[in-house]
Order: sequence, then C-alpha cells, then structure tokens
Amino acid sequence: MTGTKDKWFYGLLVATAAIFAYLIGYVFLVTPLAQLQAGGLAQKIFYFHVPAAYAMYLCGTVCCLSSAAYLYSPTDARDAAARAGADCAVVFGMMVLGSGPLWAKKAWGVYWTWDPRLTTTLLSVLVFVSVVMLRAFAGNGEAERKFASALGVLGTVTLPIIHYAVLMWGGNHPTVITKTGGGLRHPAMTHALLVGFVAMTLLAVLLLWCRTRLSLSLSRVARLEEQAISTGQID
Amino acid sequence: MTQAQPESATLSDPNSRSAEFVAVQGGGETTSAASLLIAAYLLMWGLLFAFVFLSWRRQARVETRIAELEKAIAAGGGDGSARQ
Repeated sequence: MTGTKDKWFYGLLVATAAIFAYLIGYVFLVTPLAQLQAGGLAQKIFYFHVPAAYAMYLCGTVCCLSSAAYLYSPTDARDAAARAGADCAVVFGMMVLGSGPLWAKKAWGVYWTWDPRLTTTLLSVLVFVSVVMLRAFAGNGEAERKFASALGVLGTVTLPIIHYAVLMWGGNHPTVITKTGGGLRHPAMTHALLVGFVAMTLLAVLLLWCRTRLSLSLSRVARLEEQAISTGQID
Repeated sequence: MTQAQPESATLSDPNSRSAEFVAVQGGGETTSAASLLIAAYLLMWGLLFAFVFLSWRRQARVETRIAELEKAIAAGGGDGSARQ
C-alpha cells in the first residue's frame, strides 16, 4: 500500500514539475504583454498570482471541511488534514500577498491600498496564521485541537467574502475573471491562466499530502511518547 | 518630430490618470516592470522552496524520533535510548 502511495506521490511530483516548466516557458515566451495601465510586463505576475489565490481557497476549503469533520467526530487523520490545510493556505496566501503588491506598484503606482479585496485577503490569511500559531504553540491537547478546528471553519467562511468584495464594494482590484467570459483579450492569456490553475492545483495537492503526512507523524510521536512514559521508557 | 508640452495643471492632478494620458519626455520612472516581475517570482519560489525544505527537514526529524521511541518501547526499558 505504501509502495502504491509512493508511486502516486512521485507521479504527481513529476507531473507538477512538468506543468510548471511548461507554464513558465509559456508565460514568458508566448503570452503577449498587456497594456501599460495593467502593469505591462509586470502583468505576467497575474498568471501565478491568481492561481495561488485559488490554491489558497482550495487549501482553506480542505481546512474547513476537515475541521468541521473533526468537530463532528475527532480523529487524528481529520486533525492532520485540517492542520495541513491551514499551513498550506498560509503559504499560498503569502504568495498572493507578496506578489500582488509588486504588480500593484506598476499598475497602480503604490504597493498597497486598503482596497476591499486586498483587505479581506489579508484578513483571511491572518485567520489561517492564527490557526497555525495556535497549533504550533498551544499544545496538542483535545481542547486546543477543537479550538483550532473552530477557527479553521471561521477562516474559510471569510473566503467567499474575498471573491465578492470587488463586486459588492468596488475598489481598484481587477475583475477580469467573470462568469460572462472575463476580460482576457487574447487566447494565449486565457490558456496561460488555465494552465496556471492546473499547476497550482497539483502543487496544492502535493503540499497538502506532505503536511498531512507530517501532522500524522507528529500525532504518532505524541502517542508513542505517552506509551513510553507510561512504561517508564522516558521521563 | 515635436511633442506637445504637457499641461502642468494636468500633471499636478493625480486624478487625471483615470481620465486621460498626456505625452511626456523622459518621464519619472523609478521602478522597472522587469525588476518587479523578477522580485515577485523570486519571492513566490523562495517561499515555496523554504516551505518544502522546512517540511522535509521536520519530517526527517520526526521519523528519527519515531524510530527511537519504537526501539525503546520494543526493548522494554533496555538501553534507554529515548530517555530525555
């Protein structure tokens, strides 16, 4: 079983690396420049920035569902998946919050503005950071796990607000991805974005896999330590 | 080829960028798009590789700890290798 899992893992790893190599080549060599008002060359950040935001939503959803499942019926696997979801949501969130301002500097002239979408994204990432910090520093007891799970559910509830923030409250943030076809005016731009979504989805699955495995191993260490203490092997 | 000199009133009004674009000579560019693009990509890949490296290192430490504990438990109080 472990051998089969390893094959899947390494297969996924190779596929992700290949798609990212293709994406980078495509974005830099094929995708045309956007107009200067959209950032010109800096607009190419878009093809990684938006899929990273989508990956953050994906990891946040995993955190939410696993946290809800843990609150309903606690197991180590559910706790591990919730913890992994929060960890990966923070990483993708930091990618979004790091790359966005660099693009904004060129397109808007400033690194940061308290635009509704930027503010709600920052808020969501901070909620996931609080989940990660709680799990890292508040121990691994049942109460801490349940509190972190509740916070994980809360963090994900803020994600749809990010998506609808621009529609509800306006702001500077581009709205080129819409239900009515969107604002990407060249087929290569659309293709690059779709490949970016596929690449980031695979990357998110890989990272979630690794972090879930790590969290399960940590739970196993805790149980073995309890067992070793009870039998007098360690103090 | 001559270029019209920009109206100073237009340039001094920051809101004019939403309504019109005027030609300027030289301009006051301070940040290049290429450097911002490279910085963004380095930041994203740096974050990713740091996360993967830290996860891998922690997983290796945890696996070692599991092996130590299992060995100590199996030995039933033998050499005390897992003693802290």
